[in-house]
Amino acid sequence: MQQFSYTIKDELGIHARPAGLLVKQASPFKSTIAVDTGTKKADAKKIMALMGAGVKQGMTVTVSAEGPDEDEAIEALKKFFEEAL
Amino acid sequence: MGLFDAFKKKGMEIGSPLKGKCVSIKEVSDPTFSEEILGKGVAVIPEDGKVCAPADGVITTMFPTGHAVGMTVSGGAELLVHVGLDTVALKGDGFTIIAKEGQKVKKGELLMEVDLEKVKAAGYDVITPVIICNSDEYAEIKGLTDKDVNAGDTVIEIQK
Repeated sequence: MQQFSYTIKDELGIHARPAGLLVKQASPFKSTIAVDTGTKKADAKKIMALMGAGVKQGMTVTVSAEGPDEDEAIEALKKFFEEAL
Repeated sequence: MGLFDAFKKKGMEIGSPLKGKCVSIKEVSDPTFSEEILGKGVAVIPEDGKVCAPADGVITTMFPTGHAVGMTVSGGAELLVHVGLDTVALKGDGFTIIAKEGQKVKKGELLMEVDLEKVKAAGYDVITPVIICNSDEYAEIKGLTDKDVNAGDTVIEIQK
């Protein structure tokens, strides 16, 4: 399993737009990808779960990928978070 | 009535959450919705601020800011009703949450109330996308657009 921690910079947190884009980023990978807030763990391929996790600015989340392409997944996700959130 | 019943066995009908005009999702100026990034659906230009359950089901996500709600309909469809565009920025101002996460609801039950005038005065578009988030699981999602609707009038027909 690969993971990284990230503190959300975006003022609005993970709302509809970045959640939709994150799902698009995560879906093509075979690995299981999750975003853990500490209180809620959301499947990054499920839009509802992500939006409902209530990720806000200032929160530190742990993004994990587990599976055959976890290395590529984590790299892509790190880049996505830095650019979009 | 026979045909209607046959359809109901195979598919799902999603009602409008609001009274207003149902239009194509492509008319929404936010690409997150118009490009179907979150899934297929329609949009309703609301006339009044009472947001009602589009079908029987369970509230899976009540956004803390009250501007959007996610629910799983009895037939399995995952629905997102997002009142207005970029309204997350209002941080709840103008929105009253009525239903709770985890609550079982019947079609037509009040979920939230929106002060449309307040939201519009703050400069936000109140058009409300109604999206089937798990669109990929269905063979056909048909929007019944370009018509005036009351809350509960069918706006989306889903075929498995």
